[in-house]
Amino acid sequence: MLSGEKAFLQIDQVLMIRNVGIVGMPPREVMFRLKGEGAKIYDLDALHVKPDLEITASYIPRVYCAILRTVLTNAKKMFLDAIYIDVGEGKCSGALYLADILKVELNIPVIQTRNEDNVRFGNPVCESGLPLMEKMELITQGVLEPEAMKNDPVRCEPAAGFWGVPPRDFSILTLFPARTHIFGWTRCMENKTPADAELEKIANPDVPTVFFAQSFCQKTALAYYLARRHPCGLYVDADVYIGHSTRAKVQAFLELNGAID
Amino acid sequence: MILGDFGTSYTKLWDIEKEPVPRIVRSMDIAGGLRTTLATGHNGARFGERYVNELTALARGAKKLIKEDDFVILDCGSRDLKFVSFSGDKVRDTGWNAECGASLGFTIELLERYYDLDHRRMPVPSTYLPVTCGVLGLSHIFDAIIQGARPEEAVASFIKGIALNAYRFAGSPSKLYLSGGLSENPVFVKSMPCEVVVLGRFVLLEGLRYIASI
Repeated sequence: MLSGEKAFLQIDQVLMIRNVGIVGMPPREVMFRLKGEGAKIYDLDALHVKPDLEITASYIPRVYCAILRTVLTNAKKMFLDAIYIDVGEGKCSGALYLADILKVELNIPVIQTRNEDNVRFGNPVCESGLPLMEKMELITQGVLEPEAMKNDPVRCEPAAGFWGVPPRDFSILTLFPARTHIFGWTRCMENKTPADAELEKIANPDVPTVFFAQSFCQKTALAYYLARRHPCGLYVDADVYIGHSTRAKVQAFLELNGAID
Repeated sequence: MILGDFGTSYTKLWDIEKEPVPRIVRSMDIAGGLRTTLATGHNGARFGERYVNELTALARGAKKLIKEDDFVILDCGSRDLKFVSFSGDKVRDTGWNAECGASLGFTIELLERYYDLDHRRMPVPSTYLPVTCGVLGLSHIFDAIIQGARPEEAVASFIKGIALNAYRFAGSPSKLYLSGGLSENPVFVKSMPCEVVVLGRFVLLEGLRYIASI
């Protein structure tokens, strides 16, 4: 397995690469290098092709993390020259196994990295008053950029909290007020320290907080545990889409605890 | 002002200016042109000028009826289970089990009709069937009958099984407030392994009435 630094030893490969997929958050050094080489970078955790999760059933179980199933669908359907997939503490053990599967199933380089970046970039977006959907889009798009964002948005006092990973289905985010602060792994993403387990555990005890994880992800344990210990926390998990009952739970929780009218 | 709780099997309607108590009609008998000021329930969005989600209606109604800061209300309807847990005047937890706890009330009603049973006369069984869902639970009932159980015994064990499942779903509290159609089923209520207070079928309507007043 290659570490983040060792990935650069494959410099000849990188020079020839045009379309690159990334999974999770590869180290900033990798991203600098890829951008310097003019590669077009795609975040494979996000939807790029028409969802067809059936395509993944030949390789991984149907009941599995929807994000990793999305990664596999993208990787199979897109015309990529290489994939950089972050594994280990900055991502998940599922990505580690998926990296091996992709390596066997695709005829392109699949390079494993371990992001141990520890330079903190802060969380201006997580604590801003932008609509939660907009905040999440800025943070996920920020994965492609190794530099800090310019023009930090204005901070707001929080009325609610969203803890967790960027969901497969962003529609859940529309239920939250703009004055929602983001915590969990998404906060680590903005901070560009995806393996920062201590930062990931932080939440604001003073505001009602939804602890979200993708169904079948190992992070459900952390989300569940933290929600139980939060003074006003609700644990929620969801698979591919946010169902009517999950939507109602979040809406009722925020409304009844005074976070929304 | 008409309030409506449009459930899967039964609809509860209440004209709060004209009727002292709500009335219950079969959902399949509801005319398509009916409109209510506020609506909740599975079919509520079709009939209400304003739709209130069921958990919100349940929580608001429970807060109005229960004079405690810490309590758990569990609503067991035809199609799903819902609970809201309050602690210190805040919502501590909430759940809506529309899939794994699906169609429990509806399945019981079907079974009673098919086997010509009256749940008011059924004894509370000592054993229970390990069921989480009405549909999947049917095969347990058929297996029990094949093995020699009388239909009323098998169905009562099924009801006890879903009561225990619903109790765990609500967080296994020491005291439970029950609402919804199944709260009128004695086997279901007596199978709960905790103190039970039955609030009846109109808690969501009470929630709508409270929302209409603010």
